Amino acid sequence: MAYDWQPLILTLKLATVTTAILFLIGVPLAYWLAFGRFRLKAAVEALVAMPLVLPPSVLGFYLLLAFSPKNAFGRFLDETFGLRLVFSFEGLVVASVLFSLPFMVHPVQSGFQNLPRSLTEAAYTLGLSRWKTLTRILLPNIKPSLLAGAVISFAHTIGEFGVVLMMGGSIPGVTRVASIAIYDEVESLNYDAANFYAFVLFALSFSILLAVFFINKRALGPH
Amino acid sequence: MNRLPGIIVAVASEGDISLVDVAVGENTLTAMLVETAESAPYLEAGNAVSVLFKETEVSLGKDLSGRLSLRNRLQGEIADIRKGKLLAEVTLDCGGHRLVSVITRRAAERLELAVGDRVEALVKANEVMLGERADGL
Amino acid sequence: MLELSLRKNLHTAEGNVTLDIELEAETGQFLTLFGRSGVGKTTCLRCIAGLTEPDHGRIAVGGEIWFDRTKGIDIPPQKRRVGFVFQDYALFPNLSVRENLRIALGDPKDERYLDELLELMDIRELERRLPTTLSGGQQQRVALARALARRPRLLLLDEPLSALDGETRQRLQNEILRIQRHFRMTTLMVSHDLGEVYRLSDRVIVIEGGRTVARGRPAEVFSNRRISGKFQFTGEVLAVEPNDVVFTLSILIGNRVVQVIATAQEMQDIQVGDTVMLVSKAFNPLVMKVDRNPGRLSPSRS
Repeated sequence: MAYDWQPLILTLKLATVTTAILFLIGVPLAYWLAFGRFRLKAAVEALVAMPLVLPPSVLGFYLLLAFSPKNAFGRFLDETFGLRLVFSFEGLVVASVLFSLPFMVHPVQSGFQNLPRSLTEAAYTLGLSRWKTLTRILLPNIKPSLLAGAVISFAHTIGEFGVVLMMGGSIPGVTRVASIAIYDEVESLNYDAANFYAFVLFALSFSILLAVFFINKRALGPH
Repeated sequence: MNRLPGIIVAVASEGDISLVDVAVGENTLTAMLVETAESAPYLEAGNAVSVLFKETEVSLGKDLSGRLSLRNRLQGEIADIRKGKLLAEVTLDCGGHRLVSVITRRAAERLELAVGDRVEALVKANEVMLGERADGL
Repeated sequence: MLELSLRKNLHTAEGNVTLDIELEAETGQFLTLFGRSGVGKTTCLRCIAGLTEPDHGRIAVGGEIWFDRTKGIDIPPQKRRVGFVFQDYALFPNLSVRENLRIALGDPKDERYLDELLELMDIRELERRLPTTLSGGQQQRVALARALARRPRLLLLDEPLSALDGETRQRLQNEILRIQRHFRMTTLMVSHDLGEVYRLSDRVIVIEGGRTVARGRPAEVFSNRRISGKFQFTGEVLAVEPNDVVFTLSILIGNRVVQVIATAQEMQDIQVGDTVMLVSKAFNPLVMKVDRNPGRLSPSRS
């Protein structure tokens, strides 16, 4: 029996794009939260951490409202950029990025914070600019944290369900990712297909996490 | 530590070593130093210094006659004697300055030292240190 | 060469302390900030390096103003050209010894200077190693070499040897002195080790409670008077035992305990716990060659 691979491919595509964007947003955000001193820092940190405690449906619901062309913000996006985020792949990406943000920011932020302050200071006194200090000294020394952030964000996006359902619905080839496909197949009593998707996701998640623990163990192992 | 105030009267140097003559009251003491006027600018005739040496380096002589290599000889009168089991601490009054010698009790008894005796305190030049005196006494 | 005056309020475990320091150093001078309580000395170095901002004051190095509160000048640390050796060395763990030095070079092509430094600090063999694989003494050498790679105008040493054992410490004291003389590098060191202060510094500034309490040559500052004796050591009185008409003192010098005889008069103002100076003449010590076979330190009688 031939299975439909499309939802799985879509899932991997979503996870890859989401992780890439998260990396670009999450690392500067983590740097800012780790070293910046500003008022409302606690508020920003709380906001970043919200997806950890919020039911995905809540986030999905508000995103749905915000991006709907019937509302001001959604209309603005539609008219200015021609961007329709509701029931589209782009919308899924935006939702996933927001939803997985803490999984990227937290490990990287604590990675930064656990580095001795003297490393940064030594770099400055040796004439290294902030940018060079970040790229040549800080980032290379928190590789395990960066890897953990990226991989967990990736894995978390694969396992997303609530937000995706609220924001994207289940449009085959556009928003019907594997986790939604499983739900659909079970609803139509198609246990065989559901099992196929479920098993692939299970195996995939397990191997990703295994790889992380394995790599971290080597990175933190005896010097 | 014995500390006597003095005034440098002469400095003779050869290489790094100097012999410094210091007037202490009516006596002249000589210090042998590994130091010259170049390395220690205070080594100059006319400067006030402290003459320093350890009590255990001070020998005592009574009724001395004959010739002696020691040039550092201070006349004094015994002001006090404290005897221990092995050692004796003899305090002299040398022209108003207090000077202490720690010698063996045996030696003290052989010389039959007693308070009021006139004795001579002897110190080798290489045991004498000089200290710069800020007060200019 | 260096002119500094600064004031800063510090919040410490012992309450609020106002750091209030003025100092000057001439080119090539080795200056030590000494003090028992931890307050202020490191902050002073950090202010010079631009890592901490003073509340008030002015810092000028070689005619260049690095900080001036009234004129609103505050040059960033990157532009101050200091060689800062941190207490924890702060070597970059991801870079090899050579790369640690190279990243600090002003001109990345200045490989000859880099080789000279490696040679000078005797760390040539370690150039490919990562810092985590080095011993404490080796890390210290690399940290010093790296600070010099910057071609700094000022070398700042923050308790550079405090994490090392006695023997390594002594060896590195000599190294620091040799390097400092070699480059005629104006150097500011923080230390709370009297022996270190004596061996290394031309001038010392004693800081207590954030304020300067004494300054001058170490021998002047710590002994009040200059003395001609060539053998000068400072140590801590551990024990005083009356023996016969004299006293036997046990004194800790470095990591060794020596015994010294003192008279009753000398003991009048000396108590256990006091720091004392031991002075002897260059003529007194006997000199004996040490037999390389351990266990035979006395001259043979044959």
